[in-house]
Amino acid sequence: MKNLVKYISWGAGALALLIALVFALPGTKPRGFDTSGFGTLPILEGGRVKPMDSIARNSLLIIHSRQGFRHEGRMVGPDEWLLDVMFRPTVADQQPIFVIDDLDVLGLIGAKQTKSRNYFSFADLSPHLEEIQKQAMNAQPKPAQKRSRFEGAVVNLFDRVYLYYKLRNTLQLAGSPGIGWEIQALGTPEAALRHKDLVQLAQFRILPPLAGMEPEAWQSVGQALSAAHSGVALHPGMVPLAKLNAAYVANDSAGFNQALGEMHQVVSVLKPGAIAHASNEMIFNRAQPFFVGLSIYFVAFLVLCFSWIYKPEILRPTAYSLLLAGAIVHTLGLAVRVILMGRPPVTNLYSSAVFVGWGAVILGLIVERMYRKGFGTAVAAAAGFASLIVAQNLGTDGDTMGMMVAVLDSNFWLATHVTTITIGYSGTFLAGAIAIGYTLRKHLSTKVDVETDKALVDMAYGIICFALFFSFVGTVLGGIWADQSWGRFWGWDPKENGALLIVLWNAIILHARWAGYVRERGTMVMAIFGNVITALSWFGVNMLGVGLHSYGFMDKAFWALTGFCISQGLLMLLCYAPARFWAPPPHSKA
Amino acid sequence: MIKPLALRSWKFLKSIQLTIVLLSLLMALVVLCTLAQVEMGTAGAVNAYMRSFLVWRQFSFLPFPIPVFPGAALVGLILTLNLTAKTLDLQRTAAKAGLWLIHAGLIVLFAGEFVAGMMQVDTNMSIEVGQTVNYVQSYKNMELAVIDATDPNWDDVHSVPDTLLSKGGTIALAGTPITLKVKGYFPNTELSSLLPGAAPSIATAGVGPSVAVVERPVVSADNEMNQTSAFVEVLAGGRSYGVWLTSVALGAPQSFTHEGRTYALSMRLRRQYLPYAFTLKQFRHDVYPGTEIPKNFSSLVQVVNPSQKESREVLIYMNQPLRYEGKTFYQASFGKNDTLSILSVVENPGWLLPYVSCVLVSLGLLVHFTIVLRRSLKRRQEQKES
Repeated sequence: MKNLVKYISWGAGALALLIALVFALPGTKPRGFDTSGFGTLPILEGGRVKPMDSIARNSLLIIHSRQGFRHEGRMVGPDEWLLDVMFRPTVADQQPIFVIDDLDVLGLIGAKQTKSRNYFSFADLSPHLEEIQKQAMNAQPKPAQKRSRFEGAVVNLFDRVYLYYKLRNTLQLAGSPGIGWEIQALGTPEAALRHKDLVQLAQFRILPPLAGMEPEAWQSVGQALSAAHSGVALHPGMVPLAKLNAAYVANDSAGFNQALGEMHQVVSVLKPGAIAHASNEMIFNRAQPFFVGLSIYFVAFLVLCFSWIYKPEILRPTAYSLLLAGAIVHTLGLAVRVILMGRPPVTNLYSSAVFVGWGAVILGLIVERMYRKGFGTAVAAAAGFASLIVAQNLGTDGDTMGMMVAVLDSNFWLATHVTTITIGYSGTFLAGAIAIGYTLRKHLSTKVDVETDKALVDMAYGIICFALFFSFVGTVLGGIWADQSWGRFWGWDPKENGALLIVLWNAIILHARWAGYVRERGTMVMAIFGNVITALSWFGVNMLGVGLHSYGFMDKAFWALTGFCISQGLLMLLCYAPARFWAPPPHSKA
Repeated sequence: MIKPLALRSWKFLKSIQLTIVLLSLLMALVVLCTLAQVEMGTAGAVNAYMRSFLVWRQFSFLPFPIPVFPGAALVGLILTLNLTAKTLDLQRTAAKAGLWLIHAGLIVLFAGEFVAGMMQVDTNMSIEVGQTVNYVQSYKNMELAVIDATDPNWDDVHSVPDTLLSKGGTIALAGTPITLKVKGYFPNTELSSLLPGAAPSIATAGVGPSVAVVERPVVSADNEMNQTSAFVEVLAGGRSYGVWLTSVALGAPQSFTHEGRTYALSMRLRRQYLPYAFTLKQFRHDVYPGTEIPKNFSSLVQVVNPSQKESREVLIYMNQPLRYEGKTFYQASFGKNDTLSILSVVENPGWLLPYVSCVLVSLGLLVHFTIVLRRSLKRRQEQKES
C-alpha cells in the first residue's frame, strides 16, 4: 500500500513533466514548409538579437491577443502567419486577426457589434485607415492616463495596425514582386526611392553584420539594398532571402527549405552562435514553461482540494508531487530566461510576477515539508497559479525580454535590490494566502481542529518574519542603489513608499502579536490585509504615473486591482466574523 | 508626585502600543504623501507630509490654515524616542541581541532621514558642451541678481533671494552703491505684451513698460516652474534709475550704467557659486541599435579646482555619479539635441548613516529570527518526543 501511494504520487509528477516536455518539441510543417526552421533565424529588433519566432509570437500577441489563430479550418501558428504577412500579404490581409471590442471604435469603422468578439482583417480595416490614424494622432500627445476610453482604444488599434503595416513592409514593399525583383532593379532611381521606404518601415533587421563591421550593425533588407545601390557589394544574405521569398510565393516547399538552409549557412558564417542562441529562445517560446507551470499548479490545487474529501493518503502526496513538478518547470523557465537575457530574474513587471509566484511556491514547498498538512501545497499551488495568471496578462504588451533603459541597467542592483524585494512580496502574499486558507477552513470544515489552526498561525507568523526581513533589506538596498546612482538615499518615490508600506505593515503585525493585542484570528486578518498592501504597492503605484519607477504603467489592470482589494476586504470580514457564524457552532453539543 | 508622573511617561514612551500607533500613523502619512504626489509633485508632497511636524490644511471657511494631522517629522521624532526607550528597556541578554541590533539600526536610519530632511540640499548644474560652469542652481528658488559686468573677464554678482524680495521694502546691496526698492513681488506670473488701452505698467525703464503682468497661482509639481516676477526701483548715488520689471520669463538681462560701471538685472534660479568649475568636454546619449531605448547617458567633465591645484577628467554616467567636495553630481537629464547635459547635485552630510543602519538591522533581523526559529524547532522536537 505504501509503495502504491509512492508510485501513484510520483507517477503523477513525472507525467506532468513529460507533458511539459512534449510542449517543447517542434510542431508539424504546415504545407511542407519548415516554418520552425524559419522561426530560428536570428534578427535584431528592439535592441536585441532574437529569433524570428519571438517577433512572430509577440506581434501576433499584440495584434490578436493570442499566439495563434484558427483560419479556414486549421490552426495558423505565429511563424506561418509572419511568413504570410511578409511574403504573401494578399493572403495575410484576409485573415481576421484584429480584435476590436470598443463600441465607439467599431462605430468609427462603421461596423456593428454582432458577435461577442469582433475580429477584423487588415483588408476590412484598410478603407478606414486614414480616419483611424487621424483620431489616433489626435489622442497620442496626451499622457496615457489622461486619455478617454475611446482615445485609448483608438490609439491601441492604430498601434496594432501600424505594427502589422511595418511587418508587411519589412522584407519587401507589400504588393511588389519580391526581393529578387528588387535586386534586379538595383540602379534605377525608382528602386532607390523604394529602398528608402523599406529602410523607414523595417520593423526588424535580418542581415547579420558583415566581417569587419561593428558587432551590432545588423542590416535590414532596405539598408542592404541602399548600400548596394551606392556601390557596396550586395549582402551575401540577400540572395538566399530572395530565393526564400520566391519559393514561398510559388508554394514550392522543397525550394523554400533549401533556401532556408542556405540562409542558415550565411548567418552561421557571419555571426557564429547567433542561430544556437535563437534556437534556444525559440524552444523556450514553444515550451511556454510558465503557461505549462500554471496548468500544473491548477491541477495540483484541484487534486489537493479533492484530498480533503476523498482518499487523502493518496491524493495529498500526489498533489505535492504535482506541485513539485510545476515548481521544476517554473524554475527551469526562470533559469532559461536568466541565461537567455544574461540578466537577473526580475527586469520588468512581467518577470516580477513570475518571480513572486516562484518565491511563493518554493516557500510553500518548504512549509509543506515542515508541517505536512497539505496546506503548504494548497496555498503554494494557488499562489503560483494566481501569480502566473497575472504574469500571462502582463505579458501581452510584446517582448517580455526587452532591453533595460539606462537607469535600470545595472545587473548588480537588479540582482540584489529587485530580487530581495520581490521575495518580500512573495512572502507577504504567501502569508496572506495561508490566512485565506485558514479563514475558509474555519467556515467550511466540519470538525474543530485546534492543532491545525495553531499550525497555520505558526506558518503565517514565520512567513511574515521572513517577509519582513526580505522587504526591509530589499527596501534599504533600493535606497543604497539610489544613493550610489543619484546621491540620495530616499526620495519618497511612490514605489519606494509602497515598499516601505509593506515593511511597516509587517512590523505592525509582529509588534501587535508580540504585545498580545492580536491572537490567532487578529494575526490572520492582518495577514490578509498584507495582500492588499502588497498588491497596491506592486501595481497600484504604477497607475499613479509619477516617479522614477513608473516604467510599467498600465491602465487595464485598474479594475482587476480594485476587485482584488474588495475581495480581500470581504475575506477579512469573513475571518473576523463572530464565532457564531463559524461552522460548526462551537456550543452545539451543549 | 513627580516620580509617578515620570514613571508613567516612561512607561508610555516605551510601550508597544505607542509603537503600533506611530507605525500606523506613518503608514497613513506615506499613503497620503504618495497620493498627493499626483497633484503637488514629489517635492511639494514630501514637504507637506514628510518633512513637516504638522500637516496643515486650508479650509475655505477659515481664514488661516489649521493642523489636521501630525507630520512625519513629528511621528518620526516620537518613534525615535519610543525606540530608544524600548531599546534601553530591553534585557541585556544574548537572546535579545538581535532586537538590540535592529532597534539601534532603526534609530540610525531615522537619524539619517532627519539629517537628510533638515540638511540635504538638492540643486542642479546644466552645462553645454564646451561650456565651463562654476555654480549649481536651485530647482525652484529664485534670486534677483545684480551683476557688475564692467570687467569682461569677471562678473561681480550681488544677489537677493526671493524670500527677501517677498518681504518688500528697501534692500541695500553691500559692496555696491545700489539700493533696490521692491515695488511689487509675484511668485508666479504670466507675461504678455501690453495691449493698447490697458492700464499702464508701473515699470518705467527697460522692457517693463510694454509688458503686462498677470499673477498666477503658485505651482509645485515636479515638471512645472513658477515664473517669478518683481518690480524694483533701482536707486544709486542719490538718483533713481527707474522702476524695472524683472522676471524669470524674460530671457535677456536688462542693464543700466552708473558712474561708468554697467550693471545687469536678472531674475533667475538661485545660484550657489563653487570654488571649482566643471567643463563639459563630451556628452553621449547611446541607444540600443535600431531603437529609441536609451542605453546610456554620460558626460565627460573636466574638473578644475584652483585651490587644490587639481585638474582632471571625470566620466559621469548612469549609476556612476561623481562625489566631490561633499556634493554628489549625477547624470539626470539632457537637452538641446544632446549638446546640453544636466547634472543633479545633492549635498547630504548624513549619507553614510543608512549604510550603517542597513548593516545593523539586517544583521539584527537575521540573529533574531534565527534565535526564534531555533527555539520553535526545539519546542517541536520536544513535543514530538513527548
